[in-house]
Amino acid sequence: MESSDLLNEGFTLMLFGVGFVFVFLTLLVIATSLMSWIIIRYEKSVGVLPEEGIPAPTAVLSPHKHAHNTHTQDKSLITVLSAAVHKYRSRNKK
Amino acid sequence: MEQLLNLWHNTGIYQIAPGQAFMIAIGMLLLYLAIKKNFEPLLLVPIGFGAVLANIPGAGLAEPGGILYLFYTVGIESGAFPLIIFMGVGAMTDFGPLLSNPRTLFLGAAAQFGIFATLLGAVLLSTFGIFDFSLADAAAIGIIGGADGPTSIYVASKLAPDLLGAIAVASYSYMALVPLIQPPIMRALTTEAERKIKMVQQRHVSHREKIVFPLLLLLLVAFLLPDAAPLLGMFCFGNLMKECAVVDRLSNTTQNSLINTVTIFLGLAVGSKLRAEEFLDLTTLGILILGMVAFSIGTASGVIMAKIMNKMGKAQINPLIGSAGVSAVPMAARVSNKLGLESDPHNFLLMHAMGPNVAGVIGSAVAAGVLINYVTGG
Repeated sequence: MESSDLLNEGFTLMLFGVGFVFVFLTLLVIATSLMSWIIIRYEKSVGVLPEEGIPAPTAVLSPHKHAHNTHTQDKSLITVLSAAVHKYRSRNKK
Repeated sequence: MEQLLNLWHNTGIYQIAPGQAFMIAIGMLLLYLAIKKNFEPLLLVPIGFGAVLANIPGAGLAEPGGILYLFYTVGIESGAFPLIIFMGVGAMTDFGPLLSNPRTLFLGAAAQFGIFATLLGAVLLSTFGIFDFSLADAAAIGIIGGADGPTSIYVASKLAPDLLGAIAVASYSYMALVPLIQPPIMRALTTEAERKIKMVQQRHVSHREKIVFPLLLLLLVAFLLPDAAPLLGMFCFGNLMKECAVVDRLSNTTQNSLINTVTIFLGLAVGSKLRAEEFLDLTTLGILILGMVAFSIGTASGVIMAKIMNKMGKAQINPLIGSAGVSAVPMAARVSNKLGLESDPHNFLLMHAMGPNVAGVIGSAVAAGVLINYVTGG
């Protein structure tokens, strides 16, 4: 009696398992296709991300983060930036 | 004189049992296969050495208090090591081929049939009284058919810890034997014309898709099958770290140092399960045979699924890539490629086969979730 119970359980688990794996992956196929479709549409208007990836690898702490800590660097950064902006503006006026 | 006798009683020669000697020989055989034959050396070296260590008489390395026992308790019993490995695998996986042809997910699903067929086989064997497997044991044995080492270990540690040694050895040895086991099955199920099918060039997959995909998968798992969340969650996390490209340091660590470190301890801990008292058992033989059956059925159902899809869809699929639906990344895909080249030296299937291959990883993790859910919850 007990062994046929086990067999039943095994059979149920097989059907249930195979069914679920298929349902799950079918949903994944649908979701993935939809996602790709949306992104391809979206990128037609926005453009793709640059090929070399987004920011540079963060192998060392980027200078940007140091700027938060050290006040002097922050200052010099602002000086450089404002000089650049100034130059850009003055050049564009002409 | 007494001290001398005492020393003699403490030597290995005095204490060794025939089973231990045999298991040390098995450990050495694994080392030989790894070093000389190059079968999965990254795993078989630690596993083989762990097996030797665990069977040293009197040293008790694998008994409570021993170092291997410690590794086992910390890493495998807790389920941590397989999950960390899965994170590393995620960080090494490229979903590009899968995204360019999502239909190949079905091949990954079909190949999981082997898992469930074997489960039924194991249950049948217990019904006939040949072995004594519970439903949990049968489920853990079936998962060998997924040909995914970490998944097998994870499921075994949850459902059948006492069978873990045999299951881990079976699943890793079949992964190493992929190039021997699969080709005859694939040749038998396909015709020469089918093997020559050329597949459409894959489209370019944008970076955004690759970033969104792991998140999409994670959400789907979260909603539908939380039992698969530990495995697939870590997998998606690793993959997202790689694809998002803003945490290259973390991604590099995960792909290299971390996964290597964990592999060392995982291997030793699995080896510690190859103790004579636990391993030398008829059950082990049963598991090895059932595992082989599981793996073969998985391969066959992947190929058959590809043929069914050819009947239904327009874009033709070379059935050889169906066999890559068992995980075993990237060996299974290489086998598909090799057989494709045999029939047509200009037909490169490798990238096409990577799609079902990574789909197989997802599929076996989903199957693992279903099994854990059913056995522990039901």
